[in-house]
Amino acid sequence: MIVHHVLSIDVVDRSVDPNTGIIRTERILGCKQKAPGWIVRLFGGSEDAYVREVSFVDPATQTATITSVNLSLSQFATCYESIRYTPSPDGRTTFAQTAEIQARVALWRSAADKLENWLVQRFEQNAQLGKLGFTDVLRQLWETREQRTAQQS
Amino acid sequence: MSQSLSEECTPLKRKYDACFNAWFEGYLEPAVSASASSEQRAKFAQQKATEFENSCGKIWQEYRQCIQKAVKDKGLDVLLEQARQENPLKEPPPPQPLDNPRS
Repeated sequence: MIVHHVLSIDVVDRSVDPNTGIIRTERILGCKQKAPGWIVRLFGGSEDAYVREVSFVDPATQTATITSVNLSLSQFATCYESIRYTPSPDGRTTFAQTAEIQARVALWRSAADKLENWLVQRFEQNAQLGKLGFTDVLRQLWETREQRTAQQS
Repeated sequence: MSQSLSEECTPLKRKYDACFNAWFEGYLEPAVSASASSEQRAKFAQQKATEFENSCGKIWQEYRQCIQKAVKDKGLDVLLEQARQENPLKEPPPPQPLDNPRS
């Protein structure tokens, strides 16, 4: 895998909708990601962080949507991240990315704020990485395809 | 490509991934063909779904058994179940919230 902090990838569910042709894939990604020391000290937990990721590939609209949420430490905070690739009229691909971060706790205020801030920072640092990783996967898929088409024509 | 969260499942995971990738290769191109009517596309999707089950169904069952156990051993089954209940994500999320690209 291209994104270096992803250590493991497992498919836990996958289906092909026989009517729409949409492929739904649910995966668990394992990452080495150090939580701040004070979180580990307070709540326990480990260096292994796991993420649930659900993706939809719709061949009819040529759209791919990927939503992910953390499993580890999810009792304290969740970060929903969604990215979508759609074809735009000029022949390029539109990339859209959103994130929703929520501290679940009625922890004392400052700790919850600290946690949210840390998570927002992490997201900003990693957003680019995730995009690069998946873009690379897509590029590989489509480049081989284009080469083949080019050779044929 | 990459490994499984359980070393034990990695060989099965790689077999399954390879099977899926081989199937997927032949899936996208005809499926995205713009000239196809929705009826033709549905027929194709059905045919390919069956083909996927036939060629990858067996290895999927083996891999799934292995990974389900591994997920449980790591205590992730409870967290996964919670996440599924909170947000099943059975359908593609509506485009609305993503309409304002940030980058």
